[in-house]
Formats: sequence, structure tokens, C-alpha cells
Amino acid sequence: MTSLVKSRLIKFLLSLIIVLIAVLIIIFNLRDNIIYFYGPTELLKNSDKQGQIMRLGGLVSVDSVQNETDSIFYFSITDGDNEIEVKYEGILPNLFAEDKGVVVEGVYMNDGRFIANKVLAKHDENYMPPEVIETLKKSGKWQGE
Amino acid sequence: MSLYIFYISNFLLLLCLTASLMQSSKIINNKIFTRPGVMMLASVQLISILLSFLILIYLFLISDFNFDLVYFNSHSKKPLIYKFSGVWGNHEGSMLLWILILVLFNFLFALSKRISERFKDITVAVQSIMIFGFVAFLFFLSNPFVLNQNNFFDGIGLNPILQDPLLAIHPPVLYVGYVGFSLVFSLAIAGLITKEVDQQWASIVKPWVFSAWAFLTAGIALGSFWAYYELGWGGYWFWDPVENASLMPWIAATALIHCVLMLQKRNVMQSWTIILAILTFSLSLVGTFLVRSGILNSVHTFASDPGRGLFILLFIFLILAFSFSLFAYNSEKINKTSSMGLISRGTGIQVNNWLLITILTIVFLGTMYPLATDLLLNKSLTVGPKYYSTTIAPIIILFLFFMFISPRLGWNDTKLYKIIIQLRYLIITSLTITLIISLYFELFNLTEILIIFFSVLLIISSMTASINFNKQNILVRTNLGQNLAHAGFGILMMAVVSNAVYSEERIYNAKVGDNLQLQKYIFSFDKIEQVEESNYNSLKAYFQMKKNGKLIDTFTPEIRFYSNPPTITSEASILHKFFSDIYLVMNVPQDQQSISVRMHIKPFMTILWLGTLMIIIGGIVSASIRIGRFDEK
Repeated sequence: MTSLVKSRLIKFLLSLIIVLIAVLIIIFNLRDNIIYFYGPTELLKNSDKQGQIMRLGGLVSVDSVQNETDSIFYFSITDGDNEIEVKYEGILPNLFAEDKGVVVEGVYMNDGRFIANKVLAKHDENYMPPEVIETLKKSGKWQGE
Repeated sequence: MSLYIFYISNFLLLLCLTASLMQSSKIINNKIFTRPGVMMLASVQLISILLSFLILIYLFLISDFNFDLVYFNSHSKKPLIYKFSGVWGNHEGSMLLWILILVLFNFLFALSKRISERFKDITVAVQSIMIFGFVAFLFFLSNPFVLNQNNFFDGIGLNPILQDPLLAIHPPVLYVGYVGFSLVFSLAIAGLITKEVDQQWASIVKPWVFSAWAFLTAGIALGSFWAYYELGWGGYWFWDPVENASLMPWIAATALIHCVLMLQKRNVMQSWTIILAILTFSLSLVGTFLVRSGILNSVHTFASDPGRGLFILLFIFLILAFSFSLFAYNSEKINKTSSMGLISRGTGIQVNNWLLITILTIVFLGTMYPLATDLLLNKSLTVGPKYYSTTIAPIIILFLFFMFISPRLGWNDTKLYKIIIQLRYLIITSLTITLIISLYFELFNLTEILIIFFSVLLIISSMTASINFNKQNILVRTNLGQNLAHAGFGILMMAVVSNAVYSEERIYNAKVGDNLQLQKYIFSFDKIEQVEESNYNSLKAYFQMKKNGKLIDTFTPEIRFYSNPPTITSEASILHKFFSDIYLVMNVPQDQQSISVRMHIKPFMTILWLGTLMIIIGGIVSASIRIGRFDEK
């Protein structure tokens, strides 16, 4: 092996190792920060997911919205088959309403209740989050096209 | 009447298609036909698209609901400015605007002088192939001039969230940026075909690439500013896929402009510059594809039509396949090796190129991963913003360091310790400032402190570097554009970190007469009233902000109820001060007696926009200086 080839090989291997390490760091960081989305039925099947940050979506159950104080709310999210009770402290978006689609972000607690720290805003009245549509399709409750 | 307009506008599109096809043939041989010439065809392309765009504006202004596009996206009661900006507030209209800019760049380049005819012909031909592709896409898959059979009395209306003056200018500015890179791409392909990627090539490319970059920066900044005050979440960047889609070409372009400068000065990195030019334009297309295809769910997604997404995807694929096979075939012939010192400015720029590519990879993975799992595994997920901040922050530290040190190094091997001794006062000053900031704001996170330190170093270093005295003690300004942009970036990074650390939020439920507190300010809820505007009704709350009993300002957050289409939006009320913004937004949950008010203190927002503005001006200055003074020594 000539010295030129040798030095090129070393350079190549060295940069390969650096790139590999960088990609590994990125991927591990990515995996730590992934927020999964579940519908109520799916979430009940995956009870091992308790304690993780995740998103939950579906329809706000009719007659389920209650407020304890001015800013602590309880409501249920349903996909027609199952429902999960959600506790949320903060401001509800303008378009939050019963029997409308909603996506919340928070933690699924081991008592089966979902503590939300975010209720995701929507842009217009007719808008339905695609995840919620998917959830409703799975439970056969989707009425759109 | 509408029928005539229908025929005329579609004829204009076909005219542009024909002219582009003729222009494209010159890529093979310019002897096929000499008349009409390049300039003539470029004028036809420009005029036909410009006319059809004006017709579309006219249709929106007179609210001709015989046209589908006007019917679905406009309403007779809409204020004039939104009838106007509504032209590009939809898929078809925005594609026409995109094409208009494409032909405009083509025309402007055809005008330019002192460029060899063959090189110009090929560049214009490559540009025309793209014009042909996009006009065909517009004509067949998203034609803005489609008539409907019904006599609609009124239109459906424009999404109220898009009814905003800033939104009238955000898309055109962003598009000038995106599409500007199409010309850079055409120049790169022409360089590959003629095998002339040299210093002269770099001087031709430089003004185009810098102006495109400046416009892209401005477009992103406008979008970010709009999100800040319109979406009412108090943030300016959410790592939303649509934002990432515009950030990715920006990162690639930032690497590209530095490589073009290196090429111009030192005749190095020919292949890498070409790769970056191709990458930047491909990412601009990916941005369009992501945003327009309906894959992402966001306010930018006007219509989901798989055919359209597929077309753009195919287009990207063809461009990549074509340009990389050309590159593989010709790259050996464009490379000329020149030596560079190990510890030199060139190395610094190369290192930062790699750091930029790393950041690009991070953003790319974070954006694409959810799409991939959704398509392949049918599993929806999102990537939290923490992924971006924790992975990118350490890289930014290194990046800022090399931004600071590289311009201080010469092109040839430089002794690092000599530079550091030379800069000792600068370093000591920055250390002191960082120490004061950290102690005053009780900053203990090492990453944050390091970013602040290197930002301060970069700001001071760039500012002092732009003021130089020559031997006769006369002030000479060197590298004004570079120093302005670099200092701006330092200011931006400092503001981003401080803003993330010191933002404060309070949420209250309030009734009229309540006094709410945020830090040292008291907000008294004065009254709430109903206001009727032409296209919406609104609930307007009045809060008087007092400090030590003295009235400082009145805040009027609003909730607007639009009827066409029915939508509710919250309008934030913001007081911009130099060191912090105070931000009020209110909500009315259903069946509630009180209103909810969210108050933010957002430090350094004005400074953050200022830094961004400096970057943009720096880009414009660099674009307009004909002979770059990159190597003043």
C-alpha cells in the first residue's frame, strides 16, 4: 500500500466513524423526543404506555365537560367505543366544543386518567385533525366521505 | 365575458408552454433555429405569464364567481387588499405566482451582459425546461382558470387566519427566495455542461445566489413574525414541518453562498459548490411539495390532491437523477485542486459547511421521520421541539466559534496562538460581558452560557472588523455585508437563547373590573365591547396596563367571529418594547361567564427581529457589491 492510499483510507475511515457517531446521537435523541398519537381504544390496549408524554385524540364526549375551578377542566375523549377522562389546566381554545374533534398532549396516568398540558388549537370550525379521522375510521364511527 | 377571459388566459398559458419548449431546445444546439432569439422568447414567456397573472388579479378584484378559484377563495364582502392577496392565498394562484417569478428570473438573467452566449443559452434553456414543467403542471393539474356552470351569488371566502396584511407579502417574498435558487441551479447545470465552474462562474452566480438567500431569509422571518402575532401562542418558531421545509433550503443556501465566495476567491471546492446548488434547489422543491401536497396538515395546505403531490415528487426525482448523472459524468473535469493551509480561513468555512450539513440532517430527520412512520407503519407521531433544541444547540456553539475565528485567519496557514494573542482584548471583553449577563440573569446552564459567550464574541468581532483604518488613518469599510450578517446572526442567537430562558406566562380568568398582575405590571380589565366590521364581528377587551399606578398602555386583545367561512380567531395585543414584548391574548370558552387571558412577557423579541433584519441587509449588501472584498488582506 502506498502512503497516499494509506492516508486516504485513514481519512475515509475517520470521517466514516465521525458520521456514524453523529447519526447515532441524532437518532437516539430523536427516539427520546417522539410523541406518539393514540385514539382511546388504542391507548387502553397499550396500558404499558402509562407515564409517557403522548397525544390523545378523538371527539369530546357530549355532556362531559366540567370545570372544577375557572381554569381546571375535566372532559372525556371518545372514539365511539371507548372513552378516556382528561384533566386539563389552562385555557381552552375558542373552538373547543362537545362532540367536536380534539387533540390533547400530556401524560396517561396509571389511574387511567389523562393529564393534558396542551389542548392543540385548530384553525377553523370544520377542520378535523387527520389523526382523529383515522381514529374514528378505526372504530367505524366516521361519518364523512 | 367570463368565457372570453377563459379562452384568453388559457391561450396565454399555452403560449408560454410553446415558447419554453422552443427555448429548451437550445440546450442541445443553438443552431436549430436562430429566430426567435433567446431574448425574444424570454420576453414572450414573461409577458404571457404576467398577463395571465394580471387577469387572475382582475378576476379576484371584480369577484367573478364564474371562475371556480374565485368562488372557492373569495367573497364579495372581503376588503380589497384581501381580495388582492387572496390571489395567492390558494394552491392554483400561488403556483401561478411561483411561475411568474420563475419567468421573471429567466428574463432578468437573459438581460445580463458580459456572459458568453453559449453559457447564457444553456442557462436559459435549463430554466425554460423548468418553466415548461411547471406551466404544464399548472395547465393540466391545477389550472386557475376553470369555469363553473352555476351562477353563484357569492364566494366561499378566504380562511380568516390568512386575512392579514403580512400575508399579502410573505408568500411573494418567500417565493422569490425559493425560485431564485432555480436560476442558481440552472447556472450550476450550465457550468457542468460547459465544464466551466471557475472563478468567473462564481462571479456570475454571486449576485443571484445572495439575493435569493436574502429574500428567503426575509420570507422565513415574515412567516415567523406572522405566526408570532397571529396564531396567539406567543411563540415565533414551532419546528412545525412547514417551517422546517423553508429552513432546510435556507441552511443549504447558507453553506452555498460561502462556497461560491471561496470559489470566486481561491478557485476551490468546485464539485461541492455544484452539489450544494443542486441540493438547495431540490430542497426548495421539497419545501413546495411538502407544503402543497396535503401531506402536512397546516394552514399552508390548501388542497390535498395526490396527483399534484405526485407530480412535484416526480419532478424532484427527475431533476436529481438528471443533475447527478451529469455531475458524475463531468465532475472530474471541473475540479482543479488548489492548496489551502490547514489552519486557514478556508478550513474554517469548510468546517462550518459540515456543521450546517449536520444541522440540515437533524432537521431533515425530524421532519421526515413522522411522515415515514405514517406512510410505512400507519402510525402517527410527532417529534417534540426538544429534539431540535437539544441536538442543535451544541453544534451552534462550534458554529459560532468558527464564524468568529475564520474571518480572522488568513487564506494561508496561520498560527492560531498569534491570532488569539492579537484578539486578547476582544476575548477578555466578551468574557466579562458574558459573566455579567450570566450573573445578572442567574444563568447556570453551560450550553446557554457558551452560546451567549460566542455570540457576544462574534458580535463584537464583526462590528470591530467592519471599522478599519488604513495607514493614512482614513476610515475604510471592509466586508460590510459579511460583518453585518455575522453580527446579526450573533444577535439572533443571543436573543433566541435569552428569550427561551426568560419568557414568562400567566393565565387568568377575568371579569370586568379585575386587576391582574404580571411581574411589576398591573392590568385592569376595563370593559369588553362588541365591534362590527365589514367581514367579521369581534369581541374587544380593554386592559389598562399600569406600573406603579401610572398608566403605560392600553391593550385590546380581540376575538373575531368570521362568517365566510365561519371561523373564530384570537387576535393578540402586543406592546413592543426594546428589551421585551408584552403579549396579551384572550379566549372565550363555551358556556363561561368570564374570559381567559393569557399574558406573556417575551424578552428580546425586538432584538431578535433586529438581528434577523441585519442578516437580510447583509445579504442584500453582499449581493449588490459587484466585486466581493472577501479577501481584503
